[in-house]
Amino acid sequence: MTSSTATSVMTGAKAPAARPRSLMAIVLRDTVSQLGARLAVAWIGLLILGAVFGPFIANSFPLIARVDGRWESPMWRYLVPTDVVLLVVFIATIILCGVRQMTVPVKVGIVIWLLALVIPLALWAVLARDLSWYRHEYGTGLVVISLGVAFGLDLAVLVLVPLKLPLSSRQWTILGLFAAALTGILVLHPVKPPTTIIYDQYRELGRAGRMQFSLPAPVPYSPTDRLRDQPDAQLLAPDTRHWMGTEINGADVFSRMIHASRVALAIGFIATGIAIVAGCAVGGVMGYFSGRVDMLGMRLLEIFEAIPTLFLLISCVAFFGRSLYLVMVIIGLTSWSGYARFVRAEFLRLRNQDFVLAAIAAGLPLRSVLFRHMLPNGLVPVLVSASFGVASAILSESVLSFLGLGLIDEPSWGDLLNQATGQGGTFTWWLAVFPGLAIFLTVFSYNLIGEALRDALDPKLRDGASD
Amino acid sequence: MSQVPANGRPLLEVDDLRTYFPVRRGVFLRTVGHVKAVDGVSFSIQPGRTLGLVGESGCGKSTVGRTLLRLIPATSGSVRYKGEDFFSYRGEELRKLRRQMQIVFQDPVSSLNPRMTVGNIIGEPMQVHGLASGSGRDEMVAGLLERVGLDPAYVTRYPHEFSGGQRQRIGIARALALNPNFIVCDEAVSALDVSIQSQILNLLGDLQKERGIAYLFIAHNLAVVEHISDDVAVMYLGRIVEQASARDLYSNPKHPYTMALLSAVPELNPRPRRRRIVLPGEVPSAVNPPGGCPFHPRCHLTRQAASDADATETAEITVGGTKLRVLRRCAEEMPVLEQKQAEPGHCAACWVTK
Repeated sequence: MTSSTATSVMTGAKAPAARPRSLMAIVLRDTVSQLGARLAVAWIGLLILGAVFGPFIANSFPLIARVDGRWESPMWRYLVPTDVVLLVVFIATIILCGVRQMTVPVKVGIVIWLLALVIPLALWAVLARDLSWYRHEYGTGLVVISLGVAFGLDLAVLVLVPLKLPLSSRQWTILGLFAAALTGILVLHPVKPPTTIIYDQYRELGRAGRMQFSLPAPVPYSPTDRLRDQPDAQLLAPDTRHWMGTEINGADVFSRMIHASRVALAIGFIATGIAIVAGCAVGGVMGYFSGRVDMLGMRLLEIFEAIPTLFLLISCVAFFGRSLYLVMVIIGLTSWSGYARFVRAEFLRLRNQDFVLAAIAAGLPLRSVLFRHMLPNGLVPVLVSASFGVASAILSESVLSFLGLGLIDEPSWGDLLNQATGQGGTFTWWLAVFPGLAIFLTVFSYNLIGEALRDALDPKLRDGASD
Repeated sequence: MSQVPANGRPLLEVDDLRTYFPVRRGVFLRTVGHVKAVDGVSFSIQPGRTLGLVGESGCGKSTVGRTLLRLIPATSGSVRYKGEDFFSYRGEELRKLRRQMQIVFQDPVSSLNPRMTVGNIIGEPMQVHGLASGSGRDEMVAGLLERVGLDPAYVTRYPHEFSGGQRQRIGIARALALNPNFIVCDEAVSALDVSIQSQILNLLGDLQKERGIAYLFIAHNLAVVEHISDDVAVMYLGRIVEQASARDLYSNPKHPYTMALLSAVPELNPRPRRRRIVLPGEVPSAVNPPGGCPFHPRCHLTRQAASDADATETAEITVGGTKLRVLRRCAEEMPVLEQKQAEPGHCAACWVTK
């Protein structure tokens, strides 16, 4: 791996740069130029496709059907807000990747703006229907306050982000049209999945001969479809109908595997994202101000490092119930200390660098000095360790699910693994091998990417292009 | 330097500036002493003039530059900018005033943010201080790049795509972006090739003529300083030991340290006229400087003077194992920076020279 990096750096140096490239772009190119990292990126890409297009790939409802002489798309009708939001963001990201004249922060800004637009739109029909239940459960006041805060924040993003983004009027027009089209579709055709989901209804229709045409999904089983219309569907070994067999309740394992990639990716990225944000904030302040602030910050870190994550997770799940978001937040809030140490060390180094002194001497505000001049230069080791952090967050969730404390009814690799050992010491190989392999491949991929990133960033392997 | 023209108030007055760095030891980081990097430095700079600050590595000359821009907190002393106490500014006011005082660094590699394009490096300060924004900003950046001798098309490039000399020009353009009255050139040409050095020096000189910028030119190369400076101050161990107009200092040095420095400047003449003065011993530690004149253990003048003087007026010291005889006064009393007879405004801190 080392030699391949060296050669790639050399060839990279020989080839004349067609246009100015930032250091980050060069580093990313060097990272992806390694074979291991390429395979890893391919696997993660596969997971992302699975996460975004899960409902299209594995669904009990036909993609298109003709029932009693009427065309319909049951798959669309049963899409939940999460599916729609993921789809929109994915498409927007793909489009933005093709746009050349925007910098990465601008693109991220646009995606955030679109998220702020799509989330409430996708939620509104579902929310309106379920609001009475929430009111009953939590009281009107709390519902009004939390909704008010959420919508206020959302509005702030919608208004403030366009003010900050340096886009040309033409780019604004295109983005505005895209947003308007999206809004129109989601308002006219709100995301409104039926409350009662009967998975076998289309199979029944087919058997009753009322369905003249149907285009089923490649894997015609939803992850939570227990195949109640089929006798003895539990724990079927892999065959041509169920490529990875069925699990304890009769659901198709392959379908669950595909849909579980969403949980795996979300837990990895969101938990690590929370940890990075917290770590950068605390570590940055410690490193920049040093002295007494640094001393207090270090004690805070030590306190957080002393918390055993798994036990905290288990007790929180026991107290507050099983929630994916709770798990993400807890993993994030207990794993930021490592990032804080990295950022602190980097900031201690950077604060005496000439370009930081120049920024201070130019009278730039502290915000700019910290986040424009120092943070981008100190983020590099954080990114490397973040790729390992994502892997360990996925493992934590799998462990939790394996212990039977994971999500209820939501597909998860750890949950499938848990079912591999049944009561009375039975062992079901397909429930161990496939999810185990998926966890292994995912964790291994993140580790490979981390390694490649570290190699690409190693100043000894770079021709003095880095600081 | 002390001949202040009657017509003008100095742009910058530095008075008894001290910067000490604490030396901490042990588990509880107890302060056991101080590195006296700058120990009572005073000078003033007129608008549009250049003060050269020379001395060997570690004598505190860079610390002077950084302290008076408040990049390093001063221990004591004062800096008056246009008559106002610069050290009394806080927060937003300080930020606004910083616009008028800029710095150009020695190392062209580390002085530019590797993650920002040239356009942003130069343009951000302008935008923050409200000098320009949008297309006006782009025009100003392009104009500045052209002024320092770079292609205006470079705005979208990153620092690692440039050579050392080009980067130094970018650093100068950044300093100029805020249209300052005063620039600290902290070894601004030391890391460059000799041919590039002269280009940059000429650029700095031209800019001074155009815009009336005052420079504090910090360097260890005496030839460079002579070329650009109106006045020169020589530093040794955190103090100024000699201060004079460039011409006087180079033609008639009054401090033995200056003499030694000048004798070390290589000359084009193959048969050297001057005798090379080799200083014995090392630069003493700034944590624990020698008593009396800090230069006395290495001084050739005091040794000569001691050989002619009475035994009562001399003292014996040990430097690196060898015993030397020096004037008692040099070993015991700190000399003050005082006017010497030769030229008006020529000051040196020495007991031996008159």
